[in-house]
Amino acid sequence: MLQETAQSHQLQDEIDQLEARLLDMRTQLARSKFTSTCPTSRSSWISQDAPWKASTDLDQSHLTRSQFHSDSVRTSSLHALLLLSDSALPLGSFAYSSGLESYLAHNKSLRANPLTSFHRFLKLSIASLASTSLPYVLAGYREPATLETLDNDLDASTPCIVGQRASVAQGRALIGVWERAFRRSFAGPGPGPAATDTGAGVATTAIEDFSESLKLFCEGQDEYDPGPQGHFAPLWGVMCRAMGLDLHQAAYIFVLNHAKAVLSAAVRASVMGPYQAQSILASQTLQETIMERIEREWNTPVEEAGQVVPALDLWVGRHELLYSRIFNS
Amino acid sequence: MRQPAMPIRSPFESSIAKPGQGNVVLSLLPPNNPTLTTLTYKYPLKLVPRASSFVPGSEDPDVSETCSSRPVHLYLLTYGGGLLPGDHIEVSMQLEPRTRMVVTTPQGSTKIFKTEPNNANGIKLIKGHREQMPSHQHLADMSKQSLDVRIGRQAALCYLPDPSVPFKNSRYAQVQTFTVDASAKGGERSSLCVLDWVTQGRTSRGENWDFRFWRGRNEVWARDEKTGRKRLLLRDSVILDDETDDDATLEESLTVERDSTGLDSHTAPPVGTQPPPAEHTSLNVIKERTRPHGVVGTLIMAGPVFDSLGSFLMHQFNSQPRIGGQNWSSTAQSSEPDPSLSSKGEVTWTAARVRAGFVLVKFGAKDFETAKDWLGGLLRKEGSIVREFGEEALFCL
Repeated sequence: MLQETAQSHQLQDEIDQLEARLLDMRTQLARSKFTSTCPTSRSSWISQDAPWKASTDLDQSHLTRSQFHSDSVRTSSLHALLLLSDSALPLGSFAYSSGLESYLAHNKSLRANPLTSFHRFLKLSIASLASTSLPYVLAGYREPATLETLDNDLDASTPCIVGQRASVAQGRALIGVWERAFRRSFAGPGPGPAATDTGAGVATTAIEDFSESLKLFCEGQDEYDPGPQGHFAPLWGVMCRAMGLDLHQAAYIFVLNHAKAVLSAAVRASVMGPYQAQSILASQTLQETIMERIEREWNTPVEEAGQVVPALDLWVGRHELLYSRIFNS
Repeated sequence: MRQPAMPIRSPFESSIAKPGQGNVVLSLLPPNNPTLTTLTYKYPLKLVPRASSFVPGSEDPDVSETCSSRPVHLYLLTYGGGLLPGDHIEVSMQLEPRTRMVVTTPQGSTKIFKTEPNNANGIKLIKGHREQMPSHQHLADMSKQSLDVRIGRQAALCYLPDPSVPFKNSRYAQVQTFTVDASAKGGERSSLCVLDWVTQGRTSRGENWDFRFWRGRNEVWARDEKTGRKRLLLRDSVILDDETDDDATLEESLTVERDSTGLDSHTAPPVGTQPPPAEHTSLNVIKERTRPHGVVGTLIMAGPVFDSLGSFLMHQFNSQPRIGGQNWSSTAQSSEPDPSLSSKGEVTWTAARVRAGFVLVKFGAKDFETAKDWLGGLLRKEGSIVREFGEEALFCL
């Protein structure tokens, strides 16, 4: 019951946010349409450079105009964005706490003030995700054809079995969602994302090929070749490309979804209430943290990805030692 | 940057041109005689071989039969026992099939000396010319060590060095690459055991994760000699970055890069001209991310020679008492393996059997001594390293 309320609140909040964003984008689009007659305008360039930093000085005239531009929704990646940021996306993310449960067990003395302790964890967790996984998201998006190599390299770079399982389970679920739900709409005939971005076509092929080799691989042929695994991060990048999101969005949702998962785990682990979780999620601080981390790792090649929070590896790895567990990681 | 007044002549010195470079090839000459067929190095690096009188015991017939060669012990030294800013050590080793090598650091911890504060101030002063200067300056200030080891089939490397101790304000990057023979299967696979650990600094001087940057990257690749194809088997990468004043420089250099591509040179905000926010400088990011540990490290094991050690550590890990559980059993106390070894509260560790048969141990401990006693205790208790490589392999533990 509590959970449902939390979820509906979370959804409501998300809808509000997205509505605000929709309005924003419409305004932007309308403006760019308006100015597209004048070739010197580069407003669209600015917004691509840092969409979250783009100025949002809404032009009142656009707000008062009561006309729905269906094209503005159609041409933007809004629909795909909403699908991928949906907490109802069946990836099973709710089953993982990304080390929070173990962290709490290892830092009992800090529980005197669980909120401070949680804030610390969230910050460490986001920094760690950004330094270890985000480069793979970005690389997957930028070069979807290298998906299989990225998957191998991320598998090689995941030091603990608990984290490995969590990443692979969600990655495979993502492939499942693609095959059963998204493929038809985004890679089928008709004007999909591939019409405007050839990379989207490459990305689609990469997912299909990867999914195929995931099914065909028989284990145990070569000790040194564990085969494709299906890690979440590179697949996320490739899928965002295939669905027509831009790179900033792909990176931002990836980290935001992680923050949402950790917060939702915190609510279920009774660290805080659902409203408190929402207020952290909505806070400027969280947004700033996410953007700072993305900005930091924006040009990190995957070879340079690494763990910046060594303590987190220990907590995640020791999750298996917990006497009682409510999460899988 | 120090310069040698008189380069020390080594009888082995030959064609190596660059300072800090070293090259080692260990071959097995007939009938069963391990020999360093190449050994070159140049200041500030020093490589000293030590003929070991140790002959591996024959308790395990499987292992001894296939690769019974005597281990060769190599000391890895640097003048002054550490690395100065700008020092680059580059060691390349090749272990030919069926050879065994022990590498240790007999000078105690690898000290990473600090970057001169003058330099740091210099960076702040030359703001106007940052496009080229800072990144180069940082690179020049960074101490680097790279180790590249190729391990042939049935060969084994045992590399258990002292930890690296980065001094206040130091910068250090280390890349260790181990390449195994991809075509070797089963009991003929290459073996390695590698330890990489870093401490908070000189505790006697009150240093507590006060360095600027430390990166340790360990990679294991499988390479097929015939096709030349490589596959990454394992990458362990730890980055301890205080994210203070290189933040601004990094961003700026990125902005500059972007500018030069001509995308939006006029719209880019002047990043980095403002001083970094106050909370950045006051908060020790590295300390926050390693808390409550004073030393963190990784132990990597692979191949038939270290199989039993890997299994032992996995067993030790899995038999640790459950966290947050009640001890219902009345006999539990007596059946517990050894509290001083596995369940010491000051060492937090995890072991995982990851892909390709690798066992990866990660640990954090309150200080160097604790970590050393714990790890040395475990390795001695299991005993296979001493049996296969001799007590001297555990020299640093």
